Amino acid sequence: MEMPSAAPGTPPVLQLVGICKYFPGVIANEDVSLDVRPGEILALLGENGAGKSTLMNVVTGIYQPDAGEMILDGYGAEFASPQEAIRAGVGMVHQHFKLVPAFTVAENIHLGWSETPRNASPAVLEARTRALSEQFGFPVNPSARVEDLSAGEQQRVEILRVLARRARLLILDEPTAVLTPAEARDLFSALRAFRAGGNAVIIISHKLDEVMEISDRVTILRGGRNVGTWETRECSPRMLAARMVGREIVPQDMRARAEGAAGRGTAPELSLRSVSIRDERGVETLSDVTLDVFGGEILGIAGVAGNGQRELTEVLTGLLSPERGEVLLGGRTAPPGADAFARSGVGHIPQDRLHSALAPSLGTTDNMALREYRAPPIGGSGLFRADAALALAREIAGLAEVRIPDFGAPVRNLSGGNQQRLVARREMRIASRVLVAAYPSRGLDIGAIATMHRYFAELRDKGVAIVLVSEDLEELLNLSDRIGVMFHGRLMATLDAEGADIERIGLLMGGRNVGEDAASGGGVG
Amino acid sequence: MTRFQRFPTAPARLVLAWRAAALVAAALIVGVLLALSGRDVFVLGELVLRSTVGSRFGLEDLALFMTPLVLTGAAVTVTSRIGLWNIGGEGQFYLGAIGAAGVGLYLPGPQIIVLPLMALAAIACGMAWIVVPTLARAYAGVSEIITTLLLNFVAGLLTYWLATGPWRDRVTGALASSGRISDAIPELWGVVHWGFPLSLAIAAGLAAIMTWTGWGYEVRVSGANPGAARYAGMPMRGRVIAVMLLSGALAALAGMFEVAGTVHRLQGGMADNFGYLGIVVAVLARRSCLAVIPAALLMALILDAGIVLQTQQLAATAVLAITGLVLLLIAIGDELAHYRPVAPASSTRSGAAA
Repeated sequence: MEMPSAAPGTPPVLQLVGICKYFPGVIANEDVSLDVRPGEILALLGENGAGKSTLMNVVTGIYQPDAGEMILDGYGAEFASPQEAIRAGVGMVHQHFKLVPAFTVAENIHLGWSETPRNASPAVLEARTRALSEQFGFPVNPSARVEDLSAGEQQRVEILRVLARRARLLILDEPTAVLTPAEARDLFSALRAFRAGGNAVIIISHKLDEVMEISDRVTILRGGRNVGTWETRECSPRMLAARMVGREIVPQDMRARAEGAAGRGTAPELSLRSVSIRDERGVETLSDVTLDVFGGEILGIAGVAGNGQRELTEVLTGLLSPERGEVLLGGRTAPPGADAFARSGVGHIPQDRLHSALAPSLGTTDNMALREYRAPPIGGSGLFRADAALALAREIAGLAEVRIPDFGAPVRNLSGGNQQRLVARREMRIASRVLVAAYPSRGLDIGAIATMHRYFAELRDKGVAIVLVSEDLEELLNLSDRIGVMFHGRLMATLDAEGADIERIGLLMGGRNVGEDAASGGGVG
Repeated sequence: MTRFQRFPTAPARLVLAWRAAALVAAALIVGVLLALSGRDVFVLGELVLRSTVGSRFGLEDLALFMTPLVLTGAAVTVTSRIGLWNIGGEGQFYLGAIGAAGVGLYLPGPQIIVLPLMALAAIACGMAWIVVPTLARAYAGVSEIITTLLLNFVAGLLTYWLATGPWRDRVTGALASSGRISDAIPELWGVVHWGFPLSLAIAAGLAAIMTWTGWGYEVRVSGANPGAARYAGMPMRGRVIAVMLLSGALAALAGMFEVAGTVHRLQGGMADNFGYLGIVVAVLARRSCLAVIPAALLMALILDAGIVLQTQQLAATAVLAITGLVLLLIAIGDELAHYRPVAPASSTRSGAAA
């Protein structure tokens, strides 16, 4: 593939030749070759477990390759640690930021940097940070503590930290996952400016639109191997998706009901009436939320993470009882406690499955019994019948189409997608009335996301009320009948999803209320 | 090219194999060191074997050592199942001994009534000793490791005071212990009393409870992931309280068995580190109540061998060093059991992606 954009004779910033990396029983990368040229943004696209992050961890010295060669500016390179990589000009911004929350922005920028002046006062560090911030065009507040910053601001600090160390190759792992649409736009224009300086960027993503928008070329990984590299302008999202999963994805209008599906219920299954919650510091995390969810509909909840979604799902599933206001289940005051909610037919797919929906060190059998161990056939008269639990686990695994080699082996050995399918199927079994799903497709690949969406549509068609919390507007617009937008613990508005205006949802997510009730709203931005 | 890779889980077979190798390695190292210091290793080795597993007297001794170790090991194991550490087995052991001795010394009656009463008193005292750490943990999140540990010293001093003060032996005038308690657990085989099979049955019963009851399931889930227990609406606080009280009762029962089965008196220092060794037993048992039995056997063997070596003019510190060596090598073996060879070029690809 001859690249017209690269001047002849200019070596790639980074070239990988036949990189292999193996983990027990898993080929993470095999024979991966790719190159990144000066002045380009290369997108690394692939499903979960395709080996994108592993490959970049090899490039930045976190892992050492089992075979293959790394060539930097035409010379062979080996990095024993990320420090060596950054010294050579290769810097990575991880999905989970590696900042010290209690330190200021200036301290984080200067931490572990050979050019940090010795015994420097905070004022000196802040002045240096301000200079760097202006030099690279990433506005930050040098004296702010990192823990007080939003995710987007923290990301800017991360990037600035890498750029300050004179990185010429910037690697970003799913950088927009935590950003609002506006913040993502800012990030992209900064990346374009960085590219214009003759530098290179590798951006890991599985969001197709984003890849189309920002990248010059796309390299696709599948099953740890390089599927190929293409000029982005010669690609379409559909074709990228097909190459990524190795099959054609048929977009479905998930809002269309199957034949004979239950219609939207007339009485709400689950309602909140002016519900407020305070956290332990006394800050209101949920303010005066009123909503109704009807059977046979999907209510989407949009919003930037951390605007009260966690509290909302916990109130809806009985994990938190409201400080003020009322929770009604089927028109009656809900019984207290998560157990009582589950028994009344409320299923819950929580946002962090490994932290709450599963016990990672226990086997699949024990994990699948979590909702049904109290009643026969597993429970009853104080017993736990392991054989009945195993039968249930087999049934759920069968429905979820997950092959389990050993039902006693720790469930954390399964891939994230398989864990999520198991949790989803387990919760669907008990969700006779309501299913609350928080970020169900987070961290999943396209195939697993499609399965999850199919599950939700099936459940909705059976007449179950579904609350779907997500950051992905496209997902919400495809699936939901109505969309509520959360901002600072308030439910800003609830819109009909059909024909909803993305710009308007974006504004609501940013806390600006425009349109409908202009009387109470702020000005147009 | 075959390479070794660390796996998150260690299969029981590999753990056993590596531990056996660790024991052999420990025996070799000790043997070489003893030979270097001019001792006849084979004579010593034969003596150790004969006086532990090679003679009736040795076997009886082993069973007597195992009895309290199984119970204190189980006490630590049950708390580890819910993710906590009861470091206070030593103190609860003393309190069990105090409760049992109090009833045995001052409550006359037929043995068939007094012995169960001694056990009940021991259990009540052991639970009372752990109740403050328990409530502090359950309601205020205070680390049970510190609170249970510190109470050990209080319990030890309390025992000394009782044994040399108010409850001292007024018959023989011995200063270090209480009077002899006439009610004793009946003997089964030589000096081995019924406490031995009973402790084994208790360990097996606990294993059954953990595996076959809803309560045990809740304890396992709560220990494996408190977040999941909260998510499923399990009564975490109640389970923590129950498990810690159970743990205190188990350690106290060990104290009662020791008083009524072996020592027949209340003596200062009689816990003899059984409470702390219970922690070692629990670590060796890797959180399995059933595995507490072989772990206690190994610990008893080490203790017994140590005593034999001490009779051969080996310093007590050398014996302690040998114990430490065995445990260190076993810990290394446990870690090595996580490693398995992987053939990267193999065409079979596991379905479970990382």
